Amino acid sequence: MFMRRQVLRMAGTVLAAVIIFGPLSSLVIWSFAEKWYWPHLFPQQVGLFYWSKVLQGDMLRALQSGFLIAVVVTVLTLVITVPLAYLLARTPIPFKPVILMIFLLPQAFPQLPVFVNSTTLLYRINQGGKLWGVVLIHMVGALVFAVWTMTAVFKSVPESLEEAAINLGASRLKSFFSVALPLATPGIIASTLLVFLYSLDEFTGTLLVGSPFILTLPVFMYRTSVGYELQVASISALLLMVPGIVLLILLERYMKSEYLSMFGRI
Amino acid sequence: MRPSLRIASLIIALPPLAIVVWLFFIPFLSSAHLSFLREDQWTLRNYSLVWRLYRYDILYTLWIAFVSLAAVLLIAVLLCGYLRVHTNKPVEFLFKIPLFIPFVVVGHAMRVLLAPKGTLNSVLSQVGLINLNDPPSIAFGWMGIAVSLIWKNLALAVLLVLGAYRSVDETYLEAARNFGASAFRQIRDILLPMSAASLAVAGAFMFTSMLASFSVPLMIGSGEPPQMVMIDVYYRINYQGDYGTANALGVVSYLLAMGVAGYYLRTITQKET
Repeated sequence: MFMRRQVLRMAGTVLAAVIIFGPLSSLVIWSFAEKWYWPHLFPQQVGLFYWSKVLQGDMLRALQSGFLIAVVVTVLTLVITVPLAYLLARTPIPFKPVILMIFLLPQAFPQLPVFVNSTTLLYRINQGGKLWGVVLIHMVGALVFAVWTMTAVFKSVPESLEEAAINLGASRLKSFFSVALPLATPGIIASTLLVFLYSLDEFTGTLLVGSPFILTLPVFMYRTSVGYELQVASISALLLMVPGIVLLILLERYMKSEYLSMFGRI
Repeated sequence: MRPSLRIASLIIALPPLAIVVWLFFIPFLSSAHLSFLREDQWTLRNYSLVWRLYRYDILYTLWIAFVSLAAVLLIAVLLCGYLRVHTNKPVEFLFKIPLFIPFVVVGHAMRVLLAPKGTLNSVLSQVGLINLNDPPSIAFGWMGIAVSLIWKNLALAVLLVLGAYRSVDETYLEAARNFGASAFRQIRDILLPMSAASLAVAGAFMFTSMLASFSVPLMIGSGEPPQMVMIDVYYRINYQGDYGTANALGVVSYLLAMGVAGYYLRTITQKET
């Protein structure tokens, strides 16, 4: 009985691994395939030819601009979100339900038809196809994500600690900087890393606003894949997976479902 | 709140609010406005065009969203029940991976896997399950889109459903086990009813995200009708520059999402305020 249960459990784990890694494994094989005639199971010739080819040229540029955009988006989002998240968690800020509602709308409705019109607005101020236009469109999603996660983080800091500081004569500002902020730092870091990942992976807004001048890795991958440059596309796909997997391993312990539910979108 | 604090907090709230209002709320309203305009004239022609050209695409989109959602929820409810009753850390970790793989990558991976000359067919042909002269194509049709959406959303569903199951008190399960309840009975009679509310929110969220999926059908769609609604919107703008019809189609997609969106917004804001 015990043995049978062990075997079933093993089989279940293997099945889960096949379901998850199956679709991803063909990417790995394609990225090394130099010659692969269908319907052979494995490529006739494998090597690093395409890897060395793509790590220069267009892909490198897409990688660089995507990284730059993600850094700018993350820093700006962090700076303007942390104070707001604190207020939302702690004070009866005026119009609170309206503010919360506005920060939920982008989650509740389809993005693409809205972003089509946002693109028009960005072109009107001459930011279409430019770096700042892409940064701004990324910030819409990033802000929504950051506001909700960081509010949850500040809520998890016990209010009594701050009340103690205030009772001992500290100002609200002082209690924020020396009590709430230090205690919230791990959560803020986790949420910041996820904002960074969101921006690296964003596709719809970048395609609409950035094309054809600003290329990030997801858009580059889309173009190469529909152009049947399967090796190049597969290498980009693998590179796109790396930051996510690294974060997953780093943050596994801290990941709460409220942080992650917003990730259903990218 | 003191008046000075009120003003200070509104100033703090202003920059992030301004960005979301400017680049989401206003464009959202303007798509409703533009959907009634054609050559600067108020008209319903855009909507009649949507009805004529895209009604089957709307049904097609709903079909894919419903099938994928049903499959995701069914698998997640059973799988999470198993994971809740018998802990299995490796499986739990495995099902978190798709959460961090963007839709575009999922689209590309499934395209390579499921195309007529894809990896799956060449594996199946090795064991003699399919005939290579007439290879079946799962990609480039609704099944390819559904499989990709299921694969990606399963991670989210597992995360949310397992979270809900974990908040069910262990003593209920112990009591049931003492009366000899199997794992399936524990799921059906205790875990599922007690986490129905969170399940509904998760389902609402995933349904909208499936209706609105764009990169997956863009990657593995067939390029021929029927198409998912988001692809129609994109093509209408990219190839025809027809903002009126594209926005009318956008408004239809908001209406499709509206029922669940309303439910989703209400529950989440109620929880917060």
